[in-house]
Amino acid sequence: MAGASLFFAALLPASPKTLARGLRRRDPQLLDGLIEQYQYRLYRYLFSLTGNREMAEDLFQETWIRVLDRGHQYDGRSKFEAWLFSIARHLVIDVSRKRAFESIDSLTVEPAAAEPSSWERVNSREVQAAIEESLGRLPAVYREVLVLRFQEDLALHEIAAIVDAPLATVKSRLYRGLETLRGLLGGME
Amino acid sequence: MIGDPHETAKRLIAQDRVEGVSAQEREWLDRHLSECKDCERLAAGTDRAIALLRTVSISVPADLAERARLRVDLRTQEVDERRRWWWLPWTACTVSWAIGIVSAPYVWRAFSWLGHEAGVPTLVWKAGFALWWAAPALFAAGALLWERWDLPWYRTR
Repeated sequence: MAGASLFFAALLPASPKTLARGLRRRDPQLLDGLIEQYQYRLYRYLFSLTGNREMAEDLFQETWIRVLDRGHQYDGRSKFEAWLFSIARHLVIDVSRKRAFESIDSLTVEPAAAEPSSWERVNSREVQAAIEESLGRLPAVYREVLVLRFQEDLALHEIAAIVDAPLATVKSRLYRGLETLRGLLGGME
Repeated sequence: MIGDPHETAKRLIAQDRVEGVSAQEREWLDRHLSECKDCERLAAGTDRAIALLRTVSISVPADLAERARLRVDLRTQEVDERRRWWWLPWTACTVSWAIGIVSAPYVWRAFSWLGHEAGVPTLVWKAGFALWWAAPALFAAGALLWERWDLPWYRTR
């Protein structure tokens, strides 16, 4: 796996502009490389939004199909990952609508009382499970921005572009999310 | 700093982690944290929450990338196959238009004669001629719309 990653990473173009040109050409090698390079980050983001492993896997594939179909729309002026996450997010919203949710806010994961939640199942370690449970309790809108800010290290304006919300809304969600998360993790001192 | 210093500190602690604070605010915050144990605990708790958030790792299914690549390959083949035959309606449309340009004067006369013979108003047979003239363009537009409508990614956004 690591060898394959290095192989594909070596194939990847250096700049977003080169990337945009490759996507416009629907370059199969480039797409293979991108799938390999972004698999973890994209899957983690999708999982943070849906809290559901199977749904995240399906949406992961759909995201790349859409990257193939809409590659010509990426102009290379923004970070590729911001564009990629934006596509993924719209897919999640589409799925949510089909499942009669009204918005992404309603994708909040409710931890099951009897059996472990999807977040909990990801890793068996005690601390990890506790963090995941806390994350699972966070409303999806907060979880999403927290993941983008502190796991993906994206800038606030990039997050605003991905979630299609004003900068002030993003900041507000981050503040509230951080406060809620701090409260949820308080018992882990 | 005006107002309740603890509330100000609480706001700045979060602001510092989310978007940063000014040098002046930092200086005030550092001073306050060195004096106030509760606020210092709050700052430490916030840092810990962020640090824990950063440590979260999830296991990615081993064949996830492979499955995605397979789907992408299939889609590429599907689109390529569709595009392979896409020249046919466009060629037909172009030929039809070319014939339309060459035959326009004759068709105009034919429409005019038919209009007079049938006794229809001039506007009607002229509209008929315009429709005949625009038929290839309408067909092309229809085909293009059908193609776009038929591809699922145009439906969603």
